[in-house]
Amino acid sequence: MYDDVRYSLSAEVIERHAEAWRAIGAPGPFWSGGARVRMVAEARAAMTCELCAQRKAALSPFAVEGEHDPADGPTGFDLPPALIDMIHRLRTDPGRYTRTVFDNVLAAGLSREQYIETVGVVNASVIVDTMHASLGLPLPELPTPEAGGPTGQPAPDVVDGGAWVPLTRADDRTATVTGLPGAPNIARSMGCVPAAVALFFTAFRGHYALRDIPLAVSQPQAEFIASRVSALNQCFY
Amino acid sequence: MLLRASGQRDNRQYNLSAVNEADTDPGVDHADHLRALTEAAIDSRWEELATIRKAAAVAMGEQAMVDALTVAAGFNGITRVADATGIPLDPPTQETTVAMRAETGIDTFDYAAKSERYAVG
Repeated sequence: MYDDVRYSLSAEVIERHAEAWRAIGAPGPFWSGGARVRMVAEARAAMTCELCAQRKAALSPFAVEGEHDPADGPTGFDLPPALIDMIHRLRTDPGRYTRTVFDNVLAAGLSREQYIETVGVVNASVIVDTMHASLGLPLPELPTPEAGGPTGQPAPDVVDGGAWVPLTRADDRTATVTGLPGAPNIARSMGCVPAAVALFFTAFRGHYALRDIPLAVSQPQAEFIASRVSALNQCFY
Repeated sequence: MLLRASGQRDNRQYNLSAVNEADTDPGVDHADHLRALTEAAIDSRWEELATIRKAAAVAMGEQAMVDALTVAAGFNGITRVADATGIPLDPPTQETTVAMRAETGIDTFDYAAKSERYAVG
């Protein structure tokens, strides 16, 4: 990964992306490695999906019905249609991603844990793919799926925190020097699948720090970029 | 919202409206290049981004250009985690950013409001 990069990319980013890529190919608590790799393939297919383009152009994201363009990827790991739809919407129209999409996944018989694991995999891959494409590099080959079914997990320690999903328990909610609590909601948001938290932040961690950012942009520059991305993706948090 | 906190730490005031207004200068160095890099990367305008990278590297230095894209790529993922889980603001942020959220239009991104606005029906 990043073998052909002509720029000086952070070693931590390169190392963590490779680690995240390997982890995506391994079985997770609620999905096989093959299914997780198909999630990445679906996220990529969404970028050229005709239905997604029509929906993006429509006044309402739910105005256009149809079928998503098929994705390449490992065979024998077909994902449920509601999950494919969720992945395509999350990849192409995050600003108009609503609770309805989450409810549709649950109504299709999937668990919130399966949903959260998918969120972790897809968004880790979004980071890796955006980094490659931003530097003019071809996207990396899909991860190699490892054999084996879902691993399961011990019951996580979660609470209702006002989100669509339970959050990791955190008793101290007072602000630290960064202005955020020690465990901000974004770090707690995938708490019902701790492996999804670990995977996502493996991919993310080299990209940002709340203080003393170890990159060649200043903290205010990083915050401006972050704020602009949040606005483009209509992220309330 | 952390741009605001950054300004407080540096004893500087950044123009937060610039987050949603293309013609407003936020007051950070090389804001025009940062904005161009970020918007092209998030909008997947890859061919255009090649030209933007070159101009930004000349103005800011190549490493700063690469690291600006590094931040943008990370936030392209993490914003989707928030968007997909409907998390509320953390209590300190909720309490201290009421006016700023109204001023910048961020309140329109509230997940409950968006879910209602785009509800199937």
